[in-house]
Amino acid sequence: MSTLHVVSHSPFTDSRLNSCLRLCGAQDAILLCGDGAYALQAASAPFQALQAKGLKVFVLAEDSQARNLPVPAWADSVDYPAFVQLSINYDKVNTWL
Amino acid sequence: MSKSLLVISRQAPWSGPSAREALDIVLAGGAFDLPIGLLFLDDGVFQLATSQDAKAVQQKDLSANLQALSLFGIDDVFACRHSLNERGLVSPASAQPLSSEQIHEMIDRYEQVITL
Repeated sequence: MSTLHVVSHSPFTDSRLNSCLRLCGAQDAILLCGDGAYALQAASAPFQALQAKGLKVFVLAEDSQARNLPVPAWADSVDYPAFVQLSINYDKVNTWL
Repeated sequence: MSKSLLVISRQAPWSGPSAREALDIVLAGGAFDLPIGLLFLDDGVFQLATSQDAKAVQQKDLSANLQALSLFGIDDVFACRHSLNERGLVSPASAQPLSSEQIHEMIDRYEQVITL
């Protein structure tokens, strides 16, 4: 079973991303949106944690663009239709509200 | 057969409505005999601390709702051991502590997950 974890809170103010990374399995993926996109801030601790974990990482294109966050090679930028498609492709979606 | 649902409660008891709402979802699911589980994660484990005084902050006590879980047939109540240790809490009587690996397996097993 695979889970798409949706994280929309900044990893610098909140433990959602850390807990999510701790509980993620190899089949799971993380989709960053809203302030969650700040996890892609280059050289930051969450950036390194994401990279080290080696999971599939997606970011909502408009949120990374708005924040001028370059999308690293190990992450994929998605638009809203692709977001919907991802939520279908994975067995379930866990939104970290 | 209804889909199984895991509710992950990760907010402290007096920081907003999330803790109560998570419990309400679980109790409502229990009333309809849904296969439902409850996991306390991060600050959510503070809900399990004993001798809290809701009246001091003009709120309603959550402990009655917690005790109602077993009456509603909800036996799958878990707490994240990592979150408990981080906060210096001992393993509560009302929830079974699980390792991160066990929690990952549990999330895999349930068909739907809600994290509040």
